[in-house]
Amino acid sequence: MTRAQTTPTRERPRTPVSTPGRVGEHTTRSDGVPKVKGEFEYSSDLWVDGMLWGATLRSPHPRARIWSIDTSEVEAMSGVRAVLTHGDVPGRKVCGMEIPDQPVLAWEHVRYQGEPVAIVAADHPETARRALEKIAVEYEVFEPLTDAEEAMSEEAPRLHLSGNLLRHIHTVHGDVANAAAEADVVVEGEYEVGMQDQAFLGPESGLAVPDGEGGVDLYIATQWLHIDRDQLAESLDLPPESVRLTLSGVGGAFGGREDLSMQIHACLLALNTGRPVKIMYNREESFFGHVHRHPARLRYEHGATKDGDLVYVKARIVLDGGAYASSSLAVCSNAASFSCGPYDVPNALIDTYMVYTNNPPCGAMRGFGAVQACFAYEAQMDKLAEALEMDPVELRIKNAIKPGDRLPFGQEMPEPAPVAELLRRVAAMPMPEEKEVMGRDLRELPGGVSNVTHGEGVNRGVGYAVGFKNVCYSEGFDDYSTARVILSMEGGEPLVQVHTAAAEVGQGLVTIQEQVARTELGVERVSILPADTTVGSSGSSSASRQTYMTGGAVKGACEALRERVLERVRQEFGEDLDDLLLDDGMVFSESRGMLVPLAELIGDEELEENFEFHHKETFPFDENGQGNAHVQFAFAAHRAVVEVDTELGLVRVVEVATAQDVGKVMNPQGLEGQIEGGIAQGLGLALLEEIQVSEGKIQNASFTDYLIPTILDMPPVRAEILELADPDSPYGLKGVGEPPTIASTPAIVSALRDATGQELARVPVKPEQIVGLATKPPDRPPQPGSGGYSGIGRLDERSET
Amino acid sequence: MPGYKRAELSAELTVVPSRGSEESPQSQIEAAKRAASDSGLAHEAGPETTVLAGGRSEVLEAVLKVVEASLDAGAHAVQVRVEAEGDAERFDERG
Repeated sequence: MTRAQTTPTRERPRTPVSTPGRVGEHTTRSDGVPKVKGEFEYSSDLWVDGMLWGATLRSPHPRARIWSIDTSEVEAMSGVRAVLTHGDVPGRKVCGMEIPDQPVLAWEHVRYQGEPVAIVAADHPETARRALEKIAVEYEVFEPLTDAEEAMSEEAPRLHLSGNLLRHIHTVHGDVANAAAEADVVVEGEYEVGMQDQAFLGPESGLAVPDGEGGVDLYIATQWLHIDRDQLAESLDLPPESVRLTLSGVGGAFGGREDLSMQIHACLLALNTGRPVKIMYNREESFFGHVHRHPARLRYEHGATKDGDLVYVKARIVLDGGAYASSSLAVCSNAASFSCGPYDVPNALIDTYMVYTNNPPCGAMRGFGAVQACFAYEAQMDKLAEALEMDPVELRIKNAIKPGDRLPFGQEMPEPAPVAELLRRVAAMPMPEEKEVMGRDLRELPGGVSNVTHGEGVNRGVGYAVGFKNVCYSEGFDDYSTARVILSMEGGEPLVQVHTAAAEVGQGLVTIQEQVARTELGVERVSILPADTTVGSSGSSSASRQTYMTGGAVKGACEALRERVLERVRQEFGEDLDDLLLDDGMVFSESRGMLVPLAELIGDEELEENFEFHHKETFPFDENGQGNAHVQFAFAAHRAVVEVDTELGLVRVVEVATAQDVGKVMNPQGLEGQIEGGIAQGLGLALLEEIQVSEGKIQNASFTDYLIPTILDMPPVRAEILELADPDSPYGLKGVGEPPTIASTPAIVSALRDATGQELARVPVKPEQIVGLATKPPDRPPQPGSGGYSGIGRLDERSET
Repeated sequence: MPGYKRAELSAELTVVPSRGSEESPQSQIEAAKRAASDSGLAHEAGPETTVLAGGRSEVLEAVLKVVEASLDAGAHAVQVRVEAEGDAERFDERG
């Protein structure tokens, strides 16, 4: 079979050449219209004639030993082309971004419900699905280890050879033991964050096409093409150049596509059958096919003087990593780094643990460790303000960290760090109108048109929070991105083509690349080439880093290209010309005016430059959790106004106001999208979103049962933007994707506390907590005939109120 | 090994069990895994394979112990593949 025969016959839709918008200008995204019209090709739309369909057999048990796998019945099935198990993985049988601890296909142990055990390729997806039912797996089922605290005990079964403790960071800052005596007021709290899902709309999917020469091409929705490629090459036992990846249309990511899902499986089946193989998860399988946000338990103690100056913070943070490592090491680092919030804390003693359990694996998700910590430390700041009888915003401003202050992990806070300014701004914004509740339009009341409250029992509450997070990769990782930029003439007009491996996951990166190219080269027509592995790595579309890193790489390549063009002009028009610029497809001298059109200068040539952009060096933590670990810090403050039906526990978020420092507004429309989208995800964690896991098994693997905010839940957002340039970053920009998610959750919960008087130490907050029935959701939903929630749940945990 | 927290050194050890030994093949493999587990550096990487990842000296020390444990249990051969990361000094040791 030749490569020509197996290459997909359906071509990718070409990225349109877009024209308007330079850096800082409103720029309409070139992929926006086809997405809205349903014409955009997502990875689930991939198709090639003659392709097979892959399917995955998954463990129904969260912890079991596999005694045998019998595929003989499937091998005889009509329409089935391959059935593979661990023995068919030719290379490394495990994968993983940080630690290769996850079996490509399980051989002896399964450690979570949904772990892949076998894969099938068949002519039709239904045949593949039925084939899975014919595979006989003999399991010996064990009681799952599902409690993170228990997993750290000596008696707990070891889930991995290395034990159950993935990472422990012991952060020692100042001298908490001595400082404690100086504290006039001490507040303590225990908090819990549930397992949130990224809930991207496009389930995992991709198409693997064998090249007929032993290699494979994979068209895939992912966040980082090169790390996928490297892991694929190792498990397929192929040189990296024989594994080529091209980004397909990505229907959202939020961290959930950083790890491999079906990539190796599709390639194994394609190489085994010699035919293209498509795998596409449905929504239920998607919940088992990617990692989630780490659930966390956080115990805090804050000490302050009677004037409200923070004296010390003690914390113990336990994060449940689930069955495999994914990016848990880095999530642990972030939870430790940001555990005290953007405050000047002179003394801190923080222990942060990340452990393996038999729960679903957890990994990257927007906010990445900073979210869990922010929920807890901001609840503590409210509690402290109450104990001190201080205004909570005033307390935060009084303790806000400033440039030059030391963070608890020893790094000096760089410029700019406008924490106090953001809080002042968000507090000064006008409050939303408060209409009389009785007689109001039902759509403006908690519960909406469900005919619940008509105004009775409705209280309004206001809450504030501020959060921060690192941008780019940390702890010594040499983070970089690569760009290739080509300048040529097409139809007599200059055209810039930009080629990177950076993943457009919906965040608007293609638009940013276009804007940068137009700005730097003064050319209007820009085309972004498909992202693939024929160019150097761009790293992951995560950590709010792509505008910084790939924006920086495109800028660098464009600058090199511009210099080449200008040097050519100098050679022709005079070497003393030091006032040249490119604009409108022409070369100008500020003193002599237009010198030459690019068309004349370049002719039929294609000028190309490659550039690899690195950010400044970072360093790992030492044994006391100290180190200059992070590149950049991004901040956002939020104010939430809520109305609560205190009898039924229903909530309407009236408005979220925010102030965020972005360094430089690259694309106002894109920024607005990130802020509103991030707040929606923060609202989801505050009120709705949780993967319910019972005995290691997911109970709500659907969008019917896993609730995400809709347009009806999303309030108006009032935003103020600060542009305080970071001297180290391209254009002075800061990453903007994650900060809106971090403090919006605690701001909403703070507002709920204000409205209800309940402690609300766990997110997502459920109605039963709001009305004071239980501090946690019930273990299982009401059963038919049970009399509803009154007959079940954790009665012993119900509060007196 | 892919990842953005690469270890300075990784060693992949595959036990080739002996059928003629007093200990069963499974016991030989489990002896190797126990020794690997004791090092705190190990992960399973296949039915007969473990990976040790960490700092250079600790990995090499652990390799010796795993090989000795395997041979003591009756295994006739242990395949060892050691990989160093060129820029490993910048990475977390346990990655």
